[in-house]
Amino acid sequence: MVKKHGLLLIRILVGIGILSTIGFYTLVETAMWGGSPGRNMASDETGLPAEWDPESGKNIKWTAQLGSQTYGNPVIIGGKIFVGTNNQAVRNPKLKGDRGVVMVFRESDGKFLWQSAHTKLASGRVNDWPQQGICSSPFVEGDRLYYVSNRAEVICADTEGFYDNENDGPYVDEENKSKIDEDIIWRYDMIDELDTFPHNLATCSPLVVGDLVFVVTANGVDETHINVPSPEAPSFIALNKNTGELVWENASPGENILHGQWSNPSYSVIDGTAQIIFPGGDGWVYAFVPETGKLLWKFDCNPKESVWELGGSGTRNNIISTPVIWNNKVYIGVGQDPEHGESSGHWYAIDATKRGDITESGKVWHRGNEDFNRTMSTAAIHDGLMYIADLSGFVYCWDANTGEEYWKYDAFAAIWGSPYYADGKVYIGDEDGDVAVLKAGKEMELLAEINMDNAVYTTPVAKNGVLYITNRSKLFATALQK
Amino acid sequence: MEKRTFVVFCLCLILLGLNIQTGWSSDWPSWRGPYQNGVSDETGLISNWSLEGKNLLWKADFVGRSTPIVINGRVYVVGRTGEGVNMQRVVACYDAKDGKLIWEDKYNVFHATVPFTRVGWSSLAGDPETGNIYYFGVDGMFVCYNKDGKRLWEHSFVEEYNRFAGYGGRTCTPVIDQDLVIVNGANNTWGNLLIMRHRFFAYDKRSGELVWISTINEPNKNTNYSVPVVTNIGGKRLLIVGGGSGWVYAMKIRTGEHIWKFQLSKGAIQASVVVDGRFVYATHHVENFDNTTWGRVVCIDATGNGDVTKTHEKWRRDGLEVGYASPLVHGGRLYLVNNSGNMFALDAKTGEEKWVLNIGKVGKGSPVWADGKIFATEVNGGFHIIEPGENEAKFLDRKQVPFDDKRFAEIFGSPAIAYGRVYFTSAAGLFCLGDKKAEFKVTPPSFVRIPELAAPTLDNPTHLQIVPAEVWVNVNDKVQFGVRGFDDFGRRTSAINVEFSLNGLQGKIDKNGQFTSDKKAGNQAGYVVAKLGDLETRARVAVADNLPWEFDFENFEVDKNPPLWPGTWKFLVKDMDGNKVLAKPPSKRMLKRHNLILGPPSMKNYTIQADLKGTKIKRRSPDMGLISHRYYLDFMTKKKRLQIRTWPAELERLKVEIPFTWNPEIWYTMIMQVEIKNGKAMIKGKVWPRDEKEPKDWTITAEDPNPNKHGSPGLYGDAQTTIFFDNVKVTQNN
Repeated sequence: MVKKHGLLLIRILVGIGILSTIGFYTLVETAMWGGSPGRNMASDETGLPAEWDPESGKNIKWTAQLGSQTYGNPVIIGGKIFVGTNNQAVRNPKLKGDRGVVMVFRESDGKFLWQSAHTKLASGRVNDWPQQGICSSPFVEGDRLYYVSNRAEVICADTEGFYDNENDGPYVDEENKSKIDEDIIWRYDMIDELDTFPHNLATCSPLVVGDLVFVVTANGVDETHINVPSPEAPSFIALNKNTGELVWENASPGENILHGQWSNPSYSVIDGTAQIIFPGGDGWVYAFVPETGKLLWKFDCNPKESVWELGGSGTRNNIISTPVIWNNKVYIGVGQDPEHGESSGHWYAIDATKRGDITESGKVWHRGNEDFNRTMSTAAIHDGLMYIADLSGFVYCWDANTGEEYWKYDAFAAIWGSPYYADGKVYIGDEDGDVAVLKAGKEMELLAEINMDNAVYTTPVAKNGVLYITNRSKLFATALQK
Repeated sequence: MEKRTFVVFCLCLILLGLNIQTGWSSDWPSWRGPYQNGVSDETGLISNWSLEGKNLLWKADFVGRSTPIVINGRVYVVGRTGEGVNMQRVVACYDAKDGKLIWEDKYNVFHATVPFTRVGWSSLAGDPETGNIYYFGVDGMFVCYNKDGKRLWEHSFVEEYNRFAGYGGRTCTPVIDQDLVIVNGANNTWGNLLIMRHRFFAYDKRSGELVWISTINEPNKNTNYSVPVVTNIGGKRLLIVGGGSGWVYAMKIRTGEHIWKFQLSKGAIQASVVVDGRFVYATHHVENFDNTTWGRVVCIDATGNGDVTKTHEKWRRDGLEVGYASPLVHGGRLYLVNNSGNMFALDAKTGEEKWVLNIGKVGKGSPVWADGKIFATEVNGGFHIIEPGENEAKFLDRKQVPFDDKRFAEIFGSPAIAYGRVYFTSAAGLFCLGDKKAEFKVTPPSFVRIPELAAPTLDNPTHLQIVPAEVWVNVNDKVQFGVRGFDDFGRRTSAINVEFSLNGLQGKIDKNGQFTSDKKAGNQAGYVVAKLGDLETRARVAVADNLPWEFDFENFEVDKNPPLWPGTWKFLVKDMDGNKVLAKPPSKRMLKRHNLILGPPSMKNYTIQADLKGTKIKRRSPDMGLISHRYYLDFMTKKKRLQIRTWPAELERLKVEIPFTWNPEIWYTMIMQVEIKNGKAMIKGKVWPRDEKEPKDWTITAEDPNPNKHGSPGLYGDAQTTIFFDNVKVTQNN
């Protein structure tokens, strides 16, 4: 009850307009993809291990079984860890078959607590790719978590599940109500309500600011890879976080959506103005007034002469990277579905204080073509240095203010995840299952390369002195042994 | 009887031991070479080369993803060509000696949800006996060419069998054995094939007549392009293949009867299996069916019967994701390239790992062994020559083939080795590598590839086969059916006398198996049945009436699929206020885009008309329209426009559209007419509210300088709401 009163107070406070990041965080703890609404993959955590060994158990605090594919990133808060995966581990014997799953573990020892387990869309891989599970990393605020299911629903659930012996509503029609099942608060079906056509999977990691939940809908092309069947369906939406009602929508990418929309919104107060930044499926980044959806600026991340082609030689790309906000600038790059192969990419630092079409005026610096390849990664910025990776397996250290390159590391395997800065180190996983631990700073130094048995498609994340890493099928809690 | 079988079995084992791989070939007639295992007998091969010219014999201007085949001194490839309206697929023939283009056949792509860049991902198959070349495309076109590029016959899988386009663009590669050429795909069509399944289709390689259809009973999971391998196990000539269901299957090649199946993965198996003696090596890159790991390499003893999952696994290695590249087996070693570009050498007997070599980041092409070396491609332009050792391997040469002045040229295909040379395709051309000083010599193939069981002709068939197994004929045609018997080993028995009858067909069948349709029956579909004692076989027969046609659906059964036509599974006859109409309800499963094909693909110079009504639910509403000559006239109600196109995934090839508003409450009438004039197709469409007067002028027109000269008429719908069709008419153009 105490908690609920606390939340109510927060809601009132937020309701009267305290939207600034700092004000917000002092009130209630949140956790999300990228740690903060600016999505910077950098952490203040210290005392993290530079090496560990899954085989011998060195510096491995515990491991937990996930499904067979894990792309959702762990989110750690309130003594719990939330991570998206698939249903191959069958945590609930009653819920078999291919499903999208969010598993919840106890932070202290990795004990499994409860899970969501969504069945697949009947329309098949064009909307809901088999066995991909839930790729959305939940946003957790107090006792509420928000994520996007594989069925393209925005879900608000109770972090306590049914452990509090309550079926919190308004949604009370859960089919499964055992201790290990999910207590849904509300669900918003984007396909049914908005006629979106998620291409391959809806993956957005939502962002909650004030009373609003911001989501990229995943609206995209159909199986022809060229036809956008629902161009008028929104790409970006804002829902009321308490009720799940639609507050505003925006369909700017429309028929120019190149493929899918698998990125995530970010938020910050930039030069006094709150901005919600949405990466579009048309390769543009859009910034809106959070409350109204009014456009502040937009930026085209592709050269005008670029050509979209489903394959290696295409020069036009879409955005899978999440925009990172740092010092009034937005950092973002372009890439493609790994299935489309490696090729030239682009990376930008954008001045977010400009307004209108700022493709030219807002370009602080750019790296691309020969210097940078297609990327799906999100930047980590610390101490004026930006760390970023590309699909071709290179990790770069660039000056965040100028784009000047200090070093480049070759992982010799494709990188899907993002570099993570913490405790003077940069952690990055690759498709061969290796996690490279690099020393942060202007000089490149590989501290360790540790094989995690199978592909690390996710981004490491640290909390309370523990570094969490997921490969396809396991969550590893690594910590210095005391 | 048991004793006899045993004797035959022993005889067969002896024959196997004596004959397998004792032949010699300098050709590369199929994508995995003469032995279907990635091994060539060629010697004197290069160990390095340079793009500047060292050991680079020739390079042809050709863009493709396939593996070349090399027979009778010629290199055959399939790829893509042209820009804009000229975007086409091309089958090309080059002189293996100097790379001179001998012939090429450019052809339109249509009815395909696969984009241009993925055209020609599967490989051709060449038949050393006839010299014929077989092609199967992303649009389901199956074409037989003679060696000079003349099209001998073709089948349109989308129009004839409602082949499911699949996802991603990879399609099957044809396989030739003796008199048959075999292709496969997921489909469903009228009658006994109404359920979507992965099916195999075997044709007479000379005539193009369908000999058998074999259905995989386990549900299809995904696009499948595992190329079957032919072998002889236990006296039975088998086709062994990874299925779209995630199981590996062995079937008798002459009949399509299943012998054994082995469960492997939760998704489709896409890499091809390789066979060595009685062992089959299969790989995949998705979830294993029995644990949470991804990927498995498995050795299966191929001598079993039935479900051999639990009984015939020799060894397995979990966690090896080999989803694209086919294994290579040579000298007791199994070589694999995993999805992330690492080559593994395993002991073929035990699965024990001997060495690993990183060859790049994305493994799709399959490695080839020849002359003591392994030739391997990698997607990011990688072409590598490797010396495999006992416990390690080393690079003799590493290359990243560049593309123009830019990055690298993508390589998806595998090397082909023939006449002392190495051939491969890339986005930057077709390459031929070899020693410039070596004499170029073409030797005809002269060996028995897969031994045949020498045994007396048997008279007691256990299986009947009626040929053709399926036809779509004109009402005036007389169709001659023949029936063959096969024994338990899948061998032809001596001549048999069967009794013919008709099932669901109006017409007559004479005692010699000649079928004549009842002229009054109009369009119909059913079966010709042949019986011999307890054995029975059925041929699927669809009859197309002469034009004009009119379907008001009043004679069709309500709440049933129409009893004929490919694509019928997604369409139901409904009663609407006493009037019967054809409905396409929202799909319960899979894609929402469907065609209903009303006539054979040879039809031309006709006009199709139909009444259509769409429904709106929340924000959802349909795309609906007509099909003629492989063009679409699409009423896109959500986008409020009419569109004419031919290749749904490549609108640059042909797209004309105009704004057109939609009223969900009313019926519309649509007319689509295609005329071929002066080498061009004129595509015209008319759309108006049914209760209003027909407009005089065409609502929309398009012109195609690369005309589709014929093609089936059909109805089209893409929606998660119901579309209704009524009063469908097809008439001959004046």
